Amino acid sequence: MFHPKKPSGMNSHERGMCVQGDSGLVLTTDPKPRLRWTVELHERFVDAVTQLGGPDKATPKTIMRVMGVKGLTLYHLKSHLQKFRLGKQPHKEFNDHSIKDASALELQRSSASSSAMIGRSMNEMQMEVQRRLHEQLEVQRHLQLRIEAQGKYMQAMLEKACQTLAGESMVLHNSSGAGYHNHKTPSNMPNPMNSIGGGAPFVKDFGSSSPLNFPSFQDLNIYGGADQLDLHPNLDRPSLSLDSYHLPSNNNSSHDNSGFGKKRPSPFVTGGSGKNPLLWSADDLPEHGHDQIHTPEMVDSISVDIYEAKPPPALTGGGGGDEQKPLKPHRHDDHLFQQAG
Amino acid sequence: MAMAMAIDDATELDFSAYSTSTTTTTTTTATTDDEYGCNWNDWSPVVDWNTLSGGQDDFQDLIESMIDESGLQPARSAVNYQEGCNSPSTDTTMFTDEEPSGDDLKGLRLVHLLMAAAEALTGVNKCHELARVILVRLKELVSPTDGTNMERLAAHFTEALQGLLEGAGGGHGKHLISGGPQRDDHHHHHQTDVLAAFQLMQDMSPYVKFGHFTANQAILEAVTQHRRVHIVDYDIMEGIQWASLMQALVSRKNGPPAPHLRITALSRGGNGRRSIGTIQETGRRLTAFATSIGQPFSFHQCRLDSDETFRPSSLKLVRGEALIFNCMLHLPHFSYRAPESVASFLSGAKTLNPRLVTLVEEELGLIGDQGFVSRFIDSLHHYSALYDSLEAGFPMQRRARALVERVFLGPRIVGSLGRIYRTRGDEEGGSWREWLGATGFRPVDISFANHCQAKLLLGLFNDGYRVEELASNRLVLGWKSRRLLSASIWSSPFDSDS
Repeated sequence: MFHPKKPSGMNSHERGMCVQGDSGLVLTTDPKPRLRWTVELHERFVDAVTQLGGPDKATPKTIMRVMGVKGLTLYHLKSHLQKFRLGKQPHKEFNDHSIKDASALELQRSSASSSAMIGRSMNEMQMEVQRRLHEQLEVQRHLQLRIEAQGKYMQAMLEKACQTLAGESMVLHNSSGAGYHNHKTPSNMPNPMNSIGGGAPFVKDFGSSSPLNFPSFQDLNIYGGADQLDLHPNLDRPSLSLDSYHLPSNNNSSHDNSGFGKKRPSPFVTGGSGKNPLLWSADDLPEHGHDQIHTPEMVDSISVDIYEAKPPPALTGGGGGDEQKPLKPHRHDDHLFQQAG
Repeated sequence: MAMAMAIDDATELDFSAYSTSTTTTTTTTATTDDEYGCNWNDWSPVVDWNTLSGGQDDFQDLIESMIDESGLQPARSAVNYQEGCNSPSTDTTMFTDEEPSGDDLKGLRLVHLLMAAAEALTGVNKCHELARVILVRLKELVSPTDGTNMERLAAHFTEALQGLLEGAGGGHGKHLISGGPQRDDHHHHHQTDVLAAFQLMQDMSPYVKFGHFTANQAILEAVTQHRRVHIVDYDIMEGIQWASLMQALVSRKNGPPAPHLRITALSRGGNGRRSIGTIQETGRRLTAFATSIGQPFSFHQCRLDSDETFRPSSLKLVRGEALIFNCMLHLPHFSYRAPESVASFLSGAKTLNPRLVTLVEEELGLIGDQGFVSRFIDSLHHYSALYDSLEAGFPMQRRARALVERVFLGPRIVGSLGRIYRTRGDEEGGSWREWLGATGFRPVDISFANHCQAKLLLGLFNDGYRVEELASNRLVLGWKSRRLLSASIWSSPFDSDS
């Protein structure tokens, strides 16, 4: 079969598979060059054969003499004549017309050249598939960054609300003297935000010197822009850009990269028996139902639901730099993927 | 546009008409229905009004006949629910079933009751007394915080109908049907609840992101070569849409570095849902965010007139900036905006020759079929799809869903039914995209990347979501067979500098 070689000094319209000699012959760059039977060359061949009295009478040697093309060898002609004869036998009636007919011509081509044709269109198709795939990967990468950006923004809002609320609670509890004054930090304030949005760990760590740091948002931009999607939270990297924009430093939001593909140990795996006096005050919970204590667990499993049970295409963080892993094919492009495979 | 309309209508074919003669017999037919099982046409009110001639005693009979006396006590259904919600395969709208279960039967009866009540309230044979009796019965059966999707949904619809009934009867409860900004005060929720519900909704469903990301992608593509971008945002809310746009702007590869981004938020006179934050807070938040990622940014406000009319002259424009009009309507967490106000915004946009107009709006069914009852049914259908999509994605997170329902969906149901009731369904029949098309705005094609992004986004959520490209400039987010949200992209009627 025809294997395209590394393109070097080739004619651009030949797609890097052949070189055109000065005699007009098109040869591959194989170590053992094969001849490309171009239309012109084939026409000269047919002329010579006709001149010699037809494919049955003509021999490679006579054809070579009549054609007089430099570089053309007996070997080439023998093979081509053989195919010409085979191709012609059942279609004698077409004779001259068929020669001008491109599709008929195609039949008579050497297997080498026709596979080159196929190879070429395959190549085009593959390039198209590659292009689409690449675009999808780009979109995927961008989508992830956008989701993260929204997550950060949301997180900032939540944090602000927590601060406000913590302040309120502080006042409330100081004045009432009840409940929580033994927990001085805002992080331990009873807070509805604990029950939502995966907020529990974030509120818990909030205000304490948390050892967890995720790559700052700016880092994500920089690295993301360089085609290098670091999906693993880098727990050691100090947060660089958060000074101006305080964000809680862990996986509060399920949009955080630290939440991707990884189940975080939840401090609330207690299964709803109301074990967390530090974090709840019935009065402050968002809903005065009987089963509030489910919430942290519930929220924890939200992110698990999304990001673990069903690893999303855009968020395949497991590979660490394995960003070339193709997407789960989407219906729209199924055919492309199949052809590519 | 006409084509898109035709396709819209085609969806309704999914609910092929079964013919059932009376309310009491529909239970058996409907439960044998197909996978989607929502045979909405079945549920058109088929109360036999003749039986009512005898007077009030018959109401009770009628209602009893609509309610299977067995197994419908709320306490028991709560138990049923626990079992039901543990099976993640409860996949579709209200009545997905091979085997009719108690929940489904009850759900169907609830629908019948609701429709009977709606019909009694507004139908030809208006009978408020009957409506009252039915609503009393409904209230016994449902609670907004307990039970199946249908039960919780029915509770909100019951509340809405109750409000309408009171409003229709005497002066009480008028606030419920005013549909105006007061509604927000009536359903005031604590800010943290709203934030929590908002976060949860984002995690549970693609609604918010779908609209925001589709619009943002179109904006990004439209301003690739611009150094200054000015977005006029009709309803900025908490501003979360712009976080992702900023991120995309600072990381774009081609074209000039990050362009200067200016956002002008329209503000209305002191009403609206304050709880998520004022425009000023949003502005501060956005500015802080922009700073944190190195996006050149400035924030402005532009006040709407007292009647919420937009005056183009009140905008400050800078020559050479790419002007974008962004109009997010009806996202689940948004508050209601009067059509006159939206119209003033969009026609104002026309005079300013913007580079792009991005529009996200709710998809309504039954276009052309007006009247309260049909709109009521459509609304029920819409919200049940919404409820079911939330449940399917997070079958176990009942409390999370309950919060979202209580904070966002319930008030929306009440408000929207109130408006339908006031206008008898006339007001909101059309869509804004039709309006834009009719006004002369030109459709802008949705790019491959944008479509691809929407599909990838939906891939992060439950399988039941789908995205359709119903026109070259319009992507629609749907849940199963129901279309929910539509994002469309437009450009100025006049040739802009491009």
